[in-house]
Amino acid sequence: MNIPVLSIITFLPLAGAILLIFIHKDRKELIRYVALGVVLITFLVSLTLYFNFNAQTSDPQFVEKGAWIGYGINYHIGIDGISLFLVLLTTFLMPIIILSSWTYIQKRVKEYLIFMLILETGIIGVFVSLNLFLFYVFWEAMLIPMYFLIGVWGGRRRIYATIKYVLFTMFGSLLMLVAIFVLYSIFYKATGTYSFNIFDYYKIILNPQVQVWLFLAFALAFAIKVPMFPFHTWLPDAHVEAPTAGSVILAAVLLKMGAYGFLRFAIPLFPDALEKFLPVLVILCLIGIIYGGLMALIQKDVKSLVAYSSVSHMGLIMLAIFALNVEALEGAIYQMLSHGLSTGALFLCVGVLYERAHTRLIKDYGGVSKQMPVFSAFFLIFMLSSIGLPGLNGFVGEVLCIFGVFKTSKILAILGVTTVILAAAYLLWMFQRVMQGPIENEKIFSFKDLNKREIIYFVPIVIMVFWMGIYPKPFLRKMDASVTHLINQVKKKGAVFTRVQKEENIPSVVDIKKIGDKETNKKKDANKEKEEEVK
Amino acid sequence: MNSFSALIPLLIIVFASLCIMILEAFLKKENKDYLAYISIIFLVVCGFFLVRAWNKDFSYFNGNLFLDNLSLFFSFIFLITTFLVILISMKYISLQGVNCGEYYSLLLLALSGMLIMVSSGDLLVIFLGLEVLSISSYSLAGLRRKEEKSSEAAIKYFLLGCFASAFLVYGIALLYGATYSTDIALIINHFQSGEGLGLMALIGLGMVVIGFGFKIAVVPFHMWTPDVYEGAPTPITAFFSVGPKAVGFAVLLRVLYPYLKNVQDSSQAIFLLLCIISVLTMVVGNLIALRQTNLKRILAYSSIAHAGYLLIAILAQDNASLVFYLTVYIFMNIGAFAAVIALGKKDKEYLELEDYAGIGFKYPWIGATFSVFLFSLAGFPPTGGFLAKFYIFSAAVRQDLVPLVIIGVLASLISVFYYLRIIVYMYMKEPSYEVDINIDNPGLFLVLFLCLYGVLQLGIFPGNVLILIKQAVTALL
Repeated sequence: MNIPVLSIITFLPLAGAILLIFIHKDRKELIRYVALGVVLITFLVSLTLYFNFNAQTSDPQFVEKGAWIGYGINYHIGIDGISLFLVLLTTFLMPIIILSSWTYIQKRVKEYLIFMLILETGIIGVFVSLNLFLFYVFWEAMLIPMYFLIGVWGGRRRIYATIKYVLFTMFGSLLMLVAIFVLYSIFYKATGTYSFNIFDYYKIILNPQVQVWLFLAFALAFAIKVPMFPFHTWLPDAHVEAPTAGSVILAAVLLKMGAYGFLRFAIPLFPDALEKFLPVLVILCLIGIIYGGLMALIQKDVKSLVAYSSVSHMGLIMLAIFALNVEALEGAIYQMLSHGLSTGALFLCVGVLYERAHTRLIKDYGGVSKQMPVFSAFFLIFMLSSIGLPGLNGFVGEVLCIFGVFKTSKILAILGVTTVILAAAYLLWMFQRVMQGPIENEKIFSFKDLNKREIIYFVPIVIMVFWMGIYPKPFLRKMDASVTHLINQVKKKGAVFTRVQKEENIPSVVDIKKIGDKETNKKKDANKEKEEEVK
Repeated sequence: MNSFSALIPLLIIVFASLCIMILEAFLKKENKDYLAYISIIFLVVCGFFLVRAWNKDFSYFNGNLFLDNLSLFFSFIFLITTFLVILISMKYISLQGVNCGEYYSLLLLALSGMLIMVSSGDLLVIFLGLEVLSISSYSLAGLRRKEEKSSEAAIKYFLLGCFASAFLVYGIALLYGATYSTDIALIINHFQSGEGLGLMALIGLGMVVIGFGFKIAVVPFHMWTPDVYEGAPTPITAFFSVGPKAVGFAVLLRVLYPYLKNVQDSSQAIFLLLCIISVLTMVVGNLIALRQTNLKRILAYSSIAHAGYLLIAILAQDNASLVFYLTVYIFMNIGAFAAVIALGKKDKEYLELEDYAGIGFKYPWIGATFSVFLFSLAGFPPTGGFLAKFYIFSAAVRQDLVPLVIIGVLASLISVFYYLRIIVYMYMKEPSYEVDINIDNPGLFLVLFLCLYGVLQLGIFPGNVLILIKQAVTALL
């Protein structure tokens, strides 16, 4: 039996969106339940991915391949240990996000949920695509729903924020598109076949001169998405203006797409260029870590505080990715998940507050925990998990990241740790100002504690926070094979390349197979020479 | 094959045009809709003959008029264009008071001009077709007789069009002087065999390019476009923005493709000229569009910019991508204009950006389809606009035109801003005044639907169309 599970997960939300079009817009409750049902089913189906996932192999699994347009453009999807959890993170958060906007979004509910569902399809599509064309289609198409979500349901400066978001992201991705064309044409000229299949691209080794440009284009697109300093300026705007659900999805999943892009494309495709730019990239990460943390300290707005904390945390994740060893990469992926959960949850908490007070300024709050003890407990847990308290999810990821970085460079690890220190500073201080102390704003007296719906969507996150903090093994073991494979791939490619470089003037593309042949031929030649000498 | 069948489609359209002109005199004012139906019937019949002629290679008049697959494909998309334009015109012309019988008659005459242009390899016959197209276009632009802007458009179009024609004829004359022929194939042969390209022939070719440059509205020959587009009746603007442009490119393809392909050593000058024009067109068109507030003018500048992308396809010598782009462009641009026309009522059109505030939620279907067309024009996947740009740019990269492609994608990034601005108004701004429109317009909604279907089909499952296009462009090889 062969059920296309991955396709179902990818396109079920889209089908749900189409279904919603035909429901009358005044039946808001029905629309909400349908949307929730769709994302819940998607989540349940996606769980089968986890249970049927074979942790022993690094090959993509649940692969589906079909002819589509031709010229190398195929429908080719599958997941490995890296994308598995990102897909799960998306499907896990989606029901929570929809629950969180249950009452917050009153206007244009139907359109809102349609865009949410389309967005889910886009995000999952990005993570499962194994064809570069398909990947790009999802990568760009996903901008459209996000553009509407921020632009229609956002705050006061939403139009500015949403256009900035779209233009920034597109700037990067259009240059990446050119790079994709170049890669495509190089591959065509070298082999005579059209292909967008990334496994085909993995096999070729490119001239470092070409690699540099291609890497820059890819890295720019992903660095804008992550966002790495100095391309982060769209992030605070987008976060602050987006509705709660938009912020959650932006922080929890969309930022991960950039890091995922590095792991899947930029690093394995262009290892030599990576090596060349490593110092610059690492310095940018460090600046991001420290600058993000310091900016978070001085924010007056809770939401932009959390947004800058994302810049800082993503800096650490990227630093770990660039360390390129097993611990660091696993740590980075783990931290991607746990950052998704805790920052997502923090945005939800801010959303809960905003729904009650309609302000995001820290100075308008104070003493909220007296009115909302249950909420206060949840908020505390999420805040501590974001700081990285042992026993909670953030700790495992951060420790692994820092261990990995430490292996490569001690100084970098020491500087990287500042993420945690700064996080403790700005988050604890924020918590103190918002939740504790005397109540000064009279509005706060009217605050009601969490209702059932809010508790329902906080509880699963809390469970995950503890689970990932206490027993990370089920997650890490599934990644092992893929991560090790990725690192080997990069190292092997680099090694092959240096050998080729010494021998001859290299053409712009070298097929690994051909190199292998050449070497065996050379050995044969050498043997012959030896034989002749003997004679 | 020498056969009279090569003439039939053209004759049908000319006959239809004359027929309608006569019928108009006998019809009462209320019944003028019949003229539209009659035109559509003729279009369908003509389409039938075109489909039948596929792969047959009919020709007539000693091969001066032929129907190879390329001309068939182009003729067919021109039929579709005219069909869509007639559908969006039906209600419009009675609402805006341009309901005169000549309307459809002129439209069909313009179509016949386009058919002539794509079915010939002789520059003089092409010129003949161009004049038929142009003269009916000038009159169509001025049909809103009570509006000053419309008359201005007609005069402007006429004067500049005449200039362009003069350039073209002079260019043809010079080419004839240099090569003793007006047949494209013979001219190219002469270039190949002879002692290369003389100065006279080069100037001649340059003038032909300039002459068509006016028609396809590339910078710096674009000055007429915004004013004419703004002044002409909106369905006619839709027609201008796709019809003459597509036909111009079809002819340029016939002239320039064999030239660029075969006369490589001496083609540098023309190649460079086209590169410069293409870059200027993309950059200037998109930059000026940023400052416009009138929808018709925005779309006018956007259509200028699109000509720039299309030129890249010619430079990359990739015919299939050019034809595909034109096909997609017809659907998305007519769709966009249809959405603009949808926002109108008796004697009133809503054309300013301000008018569009809140439209997206008030009229969800118009808003949604218009957004799809705009996303397609901006080149977002999964629409046809993306795939079209994708093919052109990837073909250009294969020809090592990477700098041109980088300018192209950055120009389209600029375009994203103004396309999205329209959507910003439709969905993200609150209306400050009431906009009520006449939604009793079935023909228009049919067009919106057809174009939406076309844009999505070409964006997601373009397979069959691509195969047809592949067959069509083999005619050139």
